Amino acid sequence: MKTGTIHRALAAAAVIGGAASLGCLKLDDAAPITISTHVDDWRDEVIYQVLVDRFANGDTGNDYNVDRSSLGKWHGGDWKGLEDHLDYIQGLGATTLWISPVVKNVDTDAGFDAYHGYWMQDLTQTNPHFGDLPALRHLVAAAHDKKMRVILDIVTNHFGQLFYYDINKNGQPDNNVYGYGCDKFRDPNDPNNPYTNPSDPSANCLVKNGMSGIVHVSEYDPDFDPRGPVEAYTSLGNSGPAPIIFNNDPATNHMPPMPELFQDVTTFNRRGRTVDYSVGDQLLHGDFPGGLKDVDTVRCDVKAAMVDAYARWVELADFDGFRIDTVKHVEPEFWRYFTQKVRQRLAKDGKENFFMFGEAFDGDDKLVGSFTRNGDVPELPAGPQSVLGTPNLADENKRCVTDGVALNADMLDSLFYFPQYYGAISSVFRDAGGTKSIQGLWEQRPMNWGSQPAKGGVKGGPGVAPAKLPVNFLDNHDVGRFLFREFFHADIAALTAGQITQKDFDGVRRDKLKNALVFLFTEQGIPCVYYGTEQGLEGGNDPANREDLWDTGYVTQPTTDQSSGRTYGTFYQWIQKLTALRKKHKALTHGDQKVVWATDHTAAEGDAGIFAFERAGGDAGDAYALVVINTSSQHASAPGDVGMKMKVGAAPGTMLVDVLADTPASYAVASDGSVTLQVPKLGAAVLVPQAQAAGN
Amino acid sequence: MRALSVHGARVALLAAALSSSAGRASAQPAPQAPAEAPAPPPDDAKVAPPPGATKSEPSPVAEIKSAPEAPLVAQPPTEAPRPLTGFSFGSYGRMIAATDFKGRPGRDADIVAHGSRLDEGNYVELELRRDDYWAITKTSTRVVATLAVGTPLFHYTGQFDVKLAVRNLYLEARNLGGTKLSAWAGSRMYRGDDIYLLDWWPLDNLNTVGGGARYDLGPDTYAALHFGTNQPPNDFFVQQASRPAPLGQIGAAAISVLNRQKLIGSLKLSHIIRIGETGGVKGVLYGELHQLPEGQRESKPQMFETLPGDLGGVVGAQIGAFTGKRDTHLNLFVRYARGLAAYGELATPTQLAQDKTTSGAHEFLVALGGNFEAGPFGLMLGGYARSFRNASAGLDFDDVDEAIVALRPHLFFGELGGLAVEGSFQTQQRGVLAPPSAAMTTPGTTPQPAGPLAASVFRFGVIPFLSVAGRGDYSRPQLRLIYVVSARNEGAKALYPQDDVFHIHNIEHFFGFGAEWWFNSSSYGG
Repeated sequence: MKTGTIHRALAAAAVIGGAASLGCLKLDDAAPITISTHVDDWRDEVIYQVLVDRFANGDTGNDYNVDRSSLGKWHGGDWKGLEDHLDYIQGLGATTLWISPVVKNVDTDAGFDAYHGYWMQDLTQTNPHFGDLPALRHLVAAAHDKKMRVILDIVTNHFGQLFYYDINKNGQPDNNVYGYGCDKFRDPNDPNNPYTNPSDPSANCLVKNGMSGIVHVSEYDPDFDPRGPVEAYTSLGNSGPAPIIFNNDPATNHMPPMPELFQDVTTFNRRGRTVDYSVGDQLLHGDFPGGLKDVDTVRCDVKAAMVDAYARWVELADFDGFRIDTVKHVEPEFWRYFTQKVRQRLAKDGKENFFMFGEAFDGDDKLVGSFTRNGDVPELPAGPQSVLGTPNLADENKRCVTDGVALNADMLDSLFYFPQYYGAISSVFRDAGGTKSIQGLWEQRPMNWGSQPAKGGVKGGPGVAPAKLPVNFLDNHDVGRFLFREFFHADIAALTAGQITQKDFDGVRRDKLKNALVFLFTEQGIPCVYYGTEQGLEGGNDPANREDLWDTGYVTQPTTDQSSGRTYGTFYQWIQKLTALRKKHKALTHGDQKVVWATDHTAAEGDAGIFAFERAGGDAGDAYALVVINTSSQHASAPGDVGMKMKVGAAPGTMLVDVLADTPASYAVASDGSVTLQVPKLGAAVLVPQAQAAGN
Repeated sequence: MRALSVHGARVALLAAALSSSAGRASAQPAPQAPAEAPAPPPDDAKVAPPPGATKSEPSPVAEIKSAPEAPLVAQPPTEAPRPLTGFSFGSYGRMIAATDFKGRPGRDADIVAHGSRLDEGNYVELELRRDDYWAITKTSTRVVATLAVGTPLFHYTGQFDVKLAVRNLYLEARNLGGTKLSAWAGSRMYRGDDIYLLDWWPLDNLNTVGGGARYDLGPDTYAALHFGTNQPPNDFFVQQASRPAPLGQIGAAAISVLNRQKLIGSLKLSHIIRIGETGGVKGVLYGELHQLPEGQRESKPQMFETLPGDLGGVVGAQIGAFTGKRDTHLNLFVRYARGLAAYGELATPTQLAQDKTTSGAHEFLVALGGNFEAGPFGLMLGGYARSFRNASAGLDFDDVDEAIVALRPHLFFGELGGLAVEGSFQTQQRGVLAPPSAAMTTPGTTPQPAGPLAASVFRFGVIPFLSVAGRGDYSRPQLRLIYVVSARNEGAKALYPQDDVFHIHNIEHFFGFGAEWWFNSSSYGG
């Protein structure tokens, strides 16, 4: 018998043996699943953002390298823990979970751990710190059983710090300082600084002072190279593109990327770190701070690989949507391809109404809204992305579409409403700026954001125009929490000056958060609550805003922790009340939005701090709501000014009831269509017609 | 790097280290006792222990080599034996030089915790004993010192380097004051009966520093009680920290922030019912108690975390039958362990429960071992099925169901040697999904996972041997050639890391030339 025959016989024996395996061990959720649509209308949803590592530790078996003494390390939260606390989240009134990225990350880098999940290494495997595929499936299935939805956080712009640029070609990653004499970090107005005066050769250090400039170079994270892929150089000058060296350290999972396509270095832009976000080339092609390697997202194979990598997770675990990271760092042509091909593929699988919203960390509404522009003709890129020039949809189709289903101009279904974060949440609700800025912002949105639902040839998308579906938030993992004391600039100045007491300061902060929450849950769009808001967490910027929720005891009413002396659960019931209102009154979810009073007044004026808007029309039928918020912490205010009244759309004679108040008050719409009411400082009223208020 | 499973591959390594003595029990013919060897103490000499079915230390009677065809059973002494005194030396060892036919050394291919011993590595025990009889108290004493030596070997590496372990260092006093009570104290391998083919003691195999007592209710009945401690050297048990030297002195002093040890107790009841002249049935009831006190660990300077106390236990039983002739016997073991005990006595528990204890962890096993010899034929068998669940929620890699069955027929060509073949099949499931198939990476498709990882290995070996002590499955010393071919399925390959040859190849070969011996060793007993 030949050796090959023996081998085949033995291999066959092993296969037979494999079939005869014990089979006693049953893995829940290991069986194939069928995915389907679990949401009717995304406007009815309330998103609750969970940083998985910090939410709940349900399985100590995956507590690898946990170190809770530092916020920058792994803390042990996992999918099992989240599943164990679904009732807590549902009790709040939230209906949709947005969970941290699920894929395998670089484990730790430069002293920080990838507890947040944004340092992708392998897009095909689960992050073992959070659980395995059965645990992930179990979480999603458990949420679906409770009529909740789950949104997956994904990143397409970059991978983790998986390689270094071998600039000096010595085969090892270096942190080098070259030259001496001039320092790029010196006074930028110094005419001798070659780094701020490059157009003046006479200012060059070497020419002027006879000294070479000092250059600090981290081969992991060098500055952006405007010439193209980062150049290697030695003391004799440039020496061509710097070799790209993938790390190979299994202990920290600094391993070459997966899928395998990304082990081809040309799938990365290799331009170095973005140092100026206003420069389109850097914004689009530079590495993200922290050495996160930027992917060449205009390559057709990259586009297809990203669709495949992330649609696969939906097919494996039945997610209901994507939250997409760093959208503004990626070309619109990628978003056209990605969103449409994902919709098409999932629709074939039986999943429609798949919601894709992105994060563009920017206050420029035109730029943010540009990623939702849709229809048949692509819009010009906005902001720094205008460097891309006029889109050529025909060329995109010709280059990258291989399945015969041509792309149109559709992109994302929505984005986080970062312009509102800056223009309303921060400047108005925290710092008592005039409310006219909110009105101005809202008036831009129909022009800047997509005006019709995404289509793309399949019956997908939420069926609502992006302009009517911003994802609103007060804070998230990328910004300090709303309650972070140093964000209250005016109030902390008053505290420092002794004009208010610490108790007053804390009370004002709490009342401002309650007020902002009213705004969040009554304005048009989908409210998104960052975990811990309900508990009154008040951490500052990353990573201070990523606290362990288990420290709060998951209490649902104000409770003082005896060991820390801190009171938790402060806002749980307030949010619960607002989500219940939102659920009950369709105007608050489906109604169009119209500002009926806004003001620049912020001082002693009678309408100082007032912001009032109606929710009516649209798909709300005859439902109606009038929201009046007083953002002033100084005094009670009323909409109205000298010779001016607040006119509303409700019919004269309509009796409006404040369904937010503990003791509902009624206000009649006058014959001239006006409503008169006074709102206490940092108070709010949600008025609905008496007939619609019944049952409260 | 993530450690491998406590009760999977890692335990396999642990077991290989701890169970390295041959499972010869008293079944094998032993070399002729030295002329000056003292006679055994009276109680030990009355009845020979059942082959393969006793954990009693090999009786000195058993050291008297019987004629090959004679039953390995002691004859009642015609006169009272002299008490044992003097020094003696014993040893167990196995050595092999092996290749995989691809230029690499031969390598253990088992995937289950206790696999075939054919491809185990080099190991030797050197045992020195001192026996005395103290007439004034009518008490016999024995001091046992066993030095175990593992690889590397100088002639393999050229390095003056070796791994040493003291596997026994204890004093045992027998027939205290002329009674049937015995007691011991020290560091000891404390074991019962094994399954030779798997190099494994399924019911009881404890490694502790402690002591115990045994009372013989009769020639075939005894009760043995033992308590011992151990402390694996890691920060689950012990943590040292640096503090300023006291009283204003310069420098640092080391303190033990955490310093806790396991306390392990065991109780064994054994009884033999004699059948015929040499045969019998043996029954054993067995239990263990494991306890770990609460402790405190410094996670960061001046930040302390409490490590809760823990408990665990074992209940088990053994039923065996033996003919008393040519080592023929069959043993069935059943064992259930829970909590701390489920991880094994020298293991550091991992994958803990929410309360950081081993609560909920459990192991259940059923094992079978035996030997049959008739004429020029012999047949050894071993196998078990085992289910282990760690304490953490849900299933994970360390949750294991596994089984193996191994058979080794022998054909003896006269007294000097023979040919053995060994076939085994082992299978294992782990609480993780099977790796994706190749199709998983096909763009546009997402094949669903096929279920838990199911690994299996089929092995077949041919072992021509020379047995200078005469024929017999347990006859040693033995010189032998070993060829084993192993066929593993995709699941078994997936247990090994990327680029490991076992991850790559479906078929592996093992070819070696080696030896195994044992004589006059007491590295097991009770």
